[in-house]
Amino acid sequence: MQILARSIDDFKSDRKGISPPLPIYLRILPILFYLTILASILLNGVFFMNFTQAGKNKELAVAREKQLQTELQTARKQRTDLENEAQKASDIVSWLEASRPLQPLVVEIARSIQPDSSIVELRLDRDADNPAQIRLSLRLSSDTTRQLDLTLAKIASMRFRTFSPQQTLEKGEIDYKATLIWLDAAAREQKDAAATTGS
Amino acid sequence: MTVRDILAVLTFAAFRPEPDDSSASWRKRFPRHRSVLMNIGRSLLAWRGVQRNGRIGAGDLLRGEPKEVLAQISLQLKDASEDGWCALSLNTRYVISLETNLSRRPGSEEVIKSNPRSVLGARYERGKRYAVTHSPETNSSILVACDEDHIRKTEALIKEAGLQTGRVCCGTYLLLRHALSQTNTTKGGDKPASFLYVVCCQGSVCALVQDQDRWMELRSRTDVYEDAVEPALELLAPFKQRVPPEIEVVLVCDTQFPEMTDGLARIFSGHKITDLSQPDLLWTLLVQN
Repeated sequence: MQILARSIDDFKSDRKGISPPLPIYLRILPILFYLTILASILLNGVFFMNFTQAGKNKELAVAREKQLQTELQTARKQRTDLENEAQKASDIVSWLEASRPLQPLVVEIARSIQPDSSIVELRLDRDADNPAQIRLSLRLSSDTTRQLDLTLAKIASMRFRTFSPQQTLEKGEIDYKATLIWLDAAAREQKDAAATTGS
Repeated sequence: MTVRDILAVLTFAAFRPEPDDSSASWRKRFPRHRSVLMNIGRSLLAWRGVQRNGRIGAGDLLRGEPKEVLAQISLQLKDASEDGWCALSLNTRYVISLETNLSRRPGSEEVIKSNPRSVLGARYERGKRYAVTHSPETNSSILVACDEDHIRKTEALIKEAGLQTGRVCCGTYLLLRHALSQTNTTKGGDKPASFLYVVCCQGSVCALVQDQDRWMELRSRTDVYEDAVEPALELLAPFKQRVPPEIEVVLVCDTQFPEMTDGLARIFSGHKITDLSQPDLLWTLLVQN
């Protein structure tokens, strides 16, 4: 004979509405709920850390960008300064190339004066913007224009060409005004040589 | 679905049986909860606490009118339990008897609680609550009947004391079932067993004679003894003449009871005596089942 042990017989007055326990497998629901909360907390923590790191990175990037902008501005300014300097230097070179020493010209003019003539006034004005052009103002004490022709020939021999001359003769004095343009024969020769070499 | 139901799911309480769900064992109902176990007799009240780890804790045995005793120790009982849940073992106003030809329909041992008339037929008495154990080999059944009025009064008493009743059972019947399940373990009728079961539960005595798997005689009395064991032995002595000489005497008491073991050895000299008693056996069974 076998009599199995079983649950105790209960004589208690049963309460109505006693519900049986939920099946064990449904425990997955609260477990999932708590796992979700845990995962949310962990992910939020990770996201917050990443967000903080991203903020720091952004600040660093902004600061780097500002620094680079500043460096770029400085470089641009330096470049502009250099370009200005280069332009200025180029201008000076051009000016120096264009300007010729006037002393030989003055000496030649003075040597061209014959004994019967004299220079009353000699004025050479160089235009600052266009140093290749020289305004000549010459007043000679001479009865004839031979002296002027001689002087102009000397000026031409110095490779200056007269432009828009004005000449007046009054009471034994010749007043001559013209613009002298220096013929840059050397530059032309260099250009010609460069063209010959290139071809 | 209410917020309370959702909270019950989230705290896993919904996956445990409710505290007053009689279909579940006490341990499953109160895991990691303190509770109180009580044995209430006509003039005694014994109680023990159940600790959170399921072990039996401290308690006391007090003699006196249960109502008065309960009023005195109600605070102590409430402290020993969480939410005031307690299990009661009734030690009086019950009758254990041997019946024959009760209905053996499947589930009748469970149905008898809700519809006792369908199981007991003409033997049903109004105002009683029943439990039954059928013999698998014969048409005999052990029937325990408790006075419904006494149960309701006891429940009201417990409620007045600020406690909640989670279970009401009969300790003597519980110990008897324990002895039967421990000794009748062979399936089928190939090895018929003969025992004289002697159950002692804090003053109550029950004796059942099982001869070749047949339950022959059952006697049950409450409030037989208090301190001295002699009245119980006097009740059991006549069985010596009625039981076969080779029958084994199985003693099961609510706790270890050396005087009873010695007395049975004296009366049933020549019989093998098996003592299934263990310390706090009644309380342990109340918690385990």
